[in-house]
Amino acid sequence: MSISPVLALAPRLQRAGGRDSRTTTVLAVTAFTVTTALTLSVVAALLGFVDRAENPVTQFDRDMGGFYVTLAVTATILLVVPLLTLGGAAARLGVARRDARLAALRLIGATPGEVVGLTLLETALQGFVGAVLGTGLYGLLLGVWTQIPFQGRPFTVGDLWVGVPVVLLAWLVVPVLAAVSGAVTLRRVVVSPLGVARRETKPGLTAVRVVVALAAVAAFMFVSMNGQMFAAILVTMLLGMLAVAFLAMNAIGPWVLGVMGRVRLRRARTPAQLLAARRLLDDPKAMWRIVGGLGLASFVAGCLTAVPALVSLAGDSDPDAVMQMSDIRTGAILTLAITFLLSAVSAGIAQAAAVLDRRRELSLARLAGVPDDLFDQVRRREVLAPLLFTSVGSALASFVMFFPLFGQIILSAPSGLLLLVGSLAVGIALVLLATEASRPLLRRTLAETVVRAD
Amino acid sequence: MTDPTIPAPGDLVPPATGTAPDAARPVTSAWTGAAPRLAGRGLVHRFGTTTALAGVDVDLADGESLAVMGPSGSGKSTLLHVLAGIIVPSGGTVTLRGEPVQALSEKKRSLLRRTRYGFVFQFGQLLSELSALENVALPAMLTGASRSDAQAAAGQWLAALGLAGAEGRRPGELSGGQAQRVAVARALITRPEVVFADEPTGALDQQTGHDVMKVLVDSTRAVGSSLVVVTHDADVAAWCDRRIDMRDGLVVPPGSTTGEGVGPRPGEKPGRALPDDLGSARVSDVFGGAR
Repeated sequence: MSISPVLALAPRLQRAGGRDSRTTTVLAVTAFTVTTALTLSVVAALLGFVDRAENPVTQFDRDMGGFYVTLAVTATILLVVPLLTLGGAAARLGVARRDARLAALRLIGATPGEVVGLTLLETALQGFVGAVLGTGLYGLLLGVWTQIPFQGRPFTVGDLWVGVPVVLLAWLVVPVLAAVSGAVTLRRVVVSPLGVARRETKPGLTAVRVVVALAAVAAFMFVSMNGQMFAAILVTMLLGMLAVAFLAMNAIGPWVLGVMGRVRLRRARTPAQLLAARRLLDDPKAMWRIVGGLGLASFVAGCLTAVPALVSLAGDSDPDAVMQMSDIRTGAILTLAITFLLSAVSAGIAQAAAVLDRRRELSLARLAGVPDDLFDQVRRREVLAPLLFTSVGSALASFVMFFPLFGQIILSAPSGLLLLVGSLAVGIALVLLATEASRPLLRRTLAETVVRAD
Repeated sequence: MTDPTIPAPGDLVPPATGTAPDAARPVTSAWTGAAPRLAGRGLVHRFGTTTALAGVDVDLADGESLAVMGPSGSGKSTLLHVLAGIIVPSGGTVTLRGEPVQALSEKKRSLLRRTRYGFVFQFGQLLSELSALENVALPAMLTGASRSDAQAAAGQWLAALGLAGAEGRRPGELSGGQAQRVAVARALITRPEVVFADEPTGALDQQTGHDVMKVLVDSTRAVGSSLVVVTHDADVAAWCDRRIDMRDGLVVPPGSTTGEGVGPRPGEKPGRALPDDLGSARVSDVFGGAR
């Protein structure tokens, strides 16, 4: 079978990209690795709880196995969106660089099919490598997960090993989803190569809402098939609410950030304020990709405010109830920790992509004497206010949403609020640290403006 | 408002150890005989094993425009970057009004470029998220002007360069020629002492390139800035008062790189009529004439 000449160029184009291209590849593969490792871990925990429910060892397993499965499904659903966000960020990474390269190919006559094919190849390959490395990381993480007791005893490595078929499935699904996401992102090139060459931006679509809806349906079917009807109804209601809230946040978030950008633009006095406001207004969706993950995580944190109160309600009379509540608390903290970690990695990746996408502008601005510090100030300004607004706003929204259900309980045990404030502070600090991690990349990008030998 | 961090000319005095190797040589402009505004002496620069500059002397008088011509790899862009303080040469000295530039720290050279130089590149130097007006206002804001003052001045510059009505447009919504005129306005808003232009018309068609050069030369002269234009195009070089040709990192006899010899030579007055209809007067009326 003969291969298209353009597709045959793929490896050469990859190499020709130089150091930036390698950085982009490393970041994308890292993101796919983290996504795969945590997804496998989450699936492993879910399967572990299902296994304990189906093959109970203790009376507690027999009595409460179904309940634990319900909790595991809930945690899985809470983690779906952050996992997809990170995967999406990886697929979108450095897209402007590929945009320019592929737009050039379109301009010299490559067909849309060939351009899409190149993207599929490149992104799928990154996804595959990430999936394989992620499986290794998952193997390492098993050592951590097997230290944490649930239902009175930790899982064994055997309990949490997902099995070869699931691993192979991940190796297939991650590259396919990555390629599809990359192709969707690059549709502008296919439609109008000049549009990309001239750096005009067009609004994109939010595919996340569709995926979340599908995931909710799948979760509903999964729970229903397991026969836990009562739990299924509760879970479905909970998931339905969460899905609606997530969808609403994803739809509203970028718009709110856009409004924030307009207000800040009017009030801008210094170059850093002006640039930060313009960047926010220019592409609120890009900023949402940086702070939105933490917004969703904060929403989850708000949902979990009631957990300590519920735990304290259990008292210490019934050892089973105490264990159950303790497990809920452990699960809640684990879910939160993973969510915050995912949003921090997403934010770091998105910020790094933003540096690479603006490479030429940044270099030339520096040559013209724009101080390096300005770019640091702009980054902090453009991230901090949306970050605070999104995280605190989301936490408040979920707190208000659940107040009718748990209001009295939360007020009776305010440690939940402390958990919320503490986790928000940690989450915000993590995301800020992650965005600051792009500083060396920025410095290196600026330093590379050293002139070519004519 | 004055930014206290902007170096006064006295700040450019080098440390005692940084005495220029050719300090004993008198530095005068070949064109006017007066002390040059910007001068390079014995400039050498290497990238690894490649010698980009092999010993170049160059002067730039007050208000003078100089074209640096040569084929790819001749060292002309490296010369521009050395003169502009973007890179420190491996050897030789660069002086601005007699004060060595290369002894300054990276931070001070950046400050120098921001406050006393202006730049026009081939393309892509406008920040894509800012409007045309904001792009022009930014350098003024960076040197301490308030946003309202900077934007008012930027509006006047855009109008003077024929871009009234385009203030709110983003770089992606401007034609190549419009974007370069915005870049010229941005380079000149701080009334720099020297403007450096690296292939300013390289991405434009001939007619648009002609228009941009006219705007660049006229408005630079109107504010009293000196101008260095790096180009491989003899038509572009012809806009300048004087031209030097380069090959293999050295200045070579006129026309030897292109086979022709347009443009006035050192010691000559400009040999062609300078463009006058864009209005040096118009620009200087707005901005108060030469510095």
